[in-house]
Amino acid sequence: MKKFDPDALGEKMLRRFAGGTSRRGMLARFGAALVAAPVFPLLPVSRAEAAKPDRSPETKTLFARTAQTADDTKCNYWRYCAIDGSLCTCCGGGVHTCPPGAEPSPVSWVGTCINPEDGKAYLIAYRDCCGKAYCAKCDCNNTDRETQLYTPQLNNDIIWCFGTTSMEYHCSTAVLVGAA
Amino acid sequence: MKSAAKAKLSAALTALALGSALGSLTASPVMAKASVEPEESDVNTLPAATKSWFFVQRGFVLSGTSIYDSATGKLLGQVETPILSDMALDPLGKAYYVSQSIWTKGSRGTRQDYITIYDSTALKVQADIDMPGRLLVGGRKNNFIVSEDGKWGFVYNFSPASSVNLIDFTKRKFVKTIELPGCADLIPNPGVGFSALCSDGSMATVSVMGAKPAITHTAPFFEATNDPVFDNLAYDKGRKQAVMMTYTGLIHIASISATPTIAPAFSIQEAAGIRKGETKPLEVNWYPGGGQPMALHRPSGHLFVLMHKGEYWTHKEGGEEVWEVDLAARKVVKRLMVEGKPRSIEVTQEASPRIITAGEDEAVRVIDPATGNATYTIEHAGGGPITVIEP
Repeated sequence: MKKFDPDALGEKMLRRFAGGTSRRGMLARFGAALVAAPVFPLLPVSRAEAAKPDRSPETKTLFARTAQTADDTKCNYWRYCAIDGSLCTCCGGGVHTCPPGAEPSPVSWVGTCINPEDGKAYLIAYRDCCGKAYCAKCDCNNTDRETQLYTPQLNNDIIWCFGTTSMEYHCSTAVLVGAA
Repeated sequence: MKSAAKAKLSAALTALALGSALGSLTASPVMAKASVEPEESDVNTLPAATKSWFFVQRGFVLSGTSIYDSATGKLLGQVETPILSDMALDPLGKAYYVSQSIWTKGSRGTRQDYITIYDSTALKVQADIDMPGRLLVGGRKNNFIVSEDGKWGFVYNFSPASSVNLIDFTKRKFVKTIELPGCADLIPNPGVGFSALCSDGSMATVSVMGAKPAITHTAPFFEATNDPVFDNLAYDKGRKQAVMMTYTGLIHIASISATPTIAPAFSIQEAAGIRKGETKPLEVNWYPGGGQPMALHRPSGHLFVLMHKGEYWTHKEGGEEVWEVDLAARKVVKRLMVEGKPRSIEVTQEASPRIITAGEDEAVRVIDPATGNATYTIEHAGGGPITVIEP
């Protein structure tokens, strides 16, 4: 009995598809779709727009209501809404830069912080800089939407120095990943 | 003559003043003679632990866990707990276990994770048990637990995949790693293995007795990202209950067995006669907070909780008050004001308990629950977590 072979099936389907289409044909269809797009009601997008989070002051946390965008060496800098540890901006690094000799962790916990200038929420990756002794300057401990160990990606107490050559914690950065 | 007598009197008074000044410098008010006998160096040992003892981990910068007697406020000794290590007590009172990590070249090189066993009298190393890894976090009491009979140890590991190292303390050996996806915060589960809290809001129970570990889950009972249960929950082995507190102030009590059951939660604020905690901003209320925000007095079933005024998402704030909750009656029976914004609390398990707090000011306070007065304030003692001798 012939076994199910997904590779062979995939190849067969792709070959059939390639045989029945051309690049020009594809471009033509894509162009038609682009032209026709406004005609279709963009339901999922409309729904997302309708469900857009309310960013009025009444819905902002105490941190978000008092955050500032001018000084990234202060705990109330807007991106630090869930940071815990020494700010790398006070340790010879920057808001997304490790100090000399330290190594950024490729994985991190994350926060969702509101930029007071545009009122929008952004995803922030708090990447620890590792491999040097604790900097112990500009210690902050902000806790917006910060949780416990069973949701580790939202916990800021863990030493997030995984995948680095050393797990010694030095300081923390706040890397902007994109709009939340 | 007059002047000679005056001079004599003055000399005598000076000698008296000097003598009294010197006397006040010596330890004893009695003019005991200082020993001038040649001496040998010797080393103290610890007596058997009593229920008035407590243990304070000194924090993120200073290593070591200090042993105090709450009856006297005296420091008795120190267990060697490096930074980010976890200490557990042998329920039989014979050993202190320290789960720790080092690297062969200081902060780099090959990582080594192991449990060191110290005997509880001389605090000497008896053995090291190597194991594959452990979570580096600090401040948690449920990343390293010991079974009620003292035979098994469970060490939480995160690599960043979640698992648990099973340790056999009888053979002093690492046995195996048990996968624990999406869960943390280990709770003893006598005769079964352990339970844990999970990111879907459920409690997992892992049976370790069979050839292959079996994991079951309760239905979700808390909101892991919106209203999380604090990691540092309390387990009462007499009642086989886990007592848990959420950020808004909901108290969950789980009966621990092969199939744990969770009682309906109640609000600590409503138990105090005020409106319950909310997750909304701008709702100023009393909230639980700190790293170790509550302590369970097992003999009375009373829970002592660090509470502060503020808005939601202030769950690491130190306490302004300690609320005493009668869990059976679901009532807050006392509110005490506390100093030092403590972030850790424990309570001794004596019939007349003493509250122990450690806080932002690095001072540890021994507090009388009846009056709220600090019997002892121990400066530079560290921030916790705090451990007590359980019944």
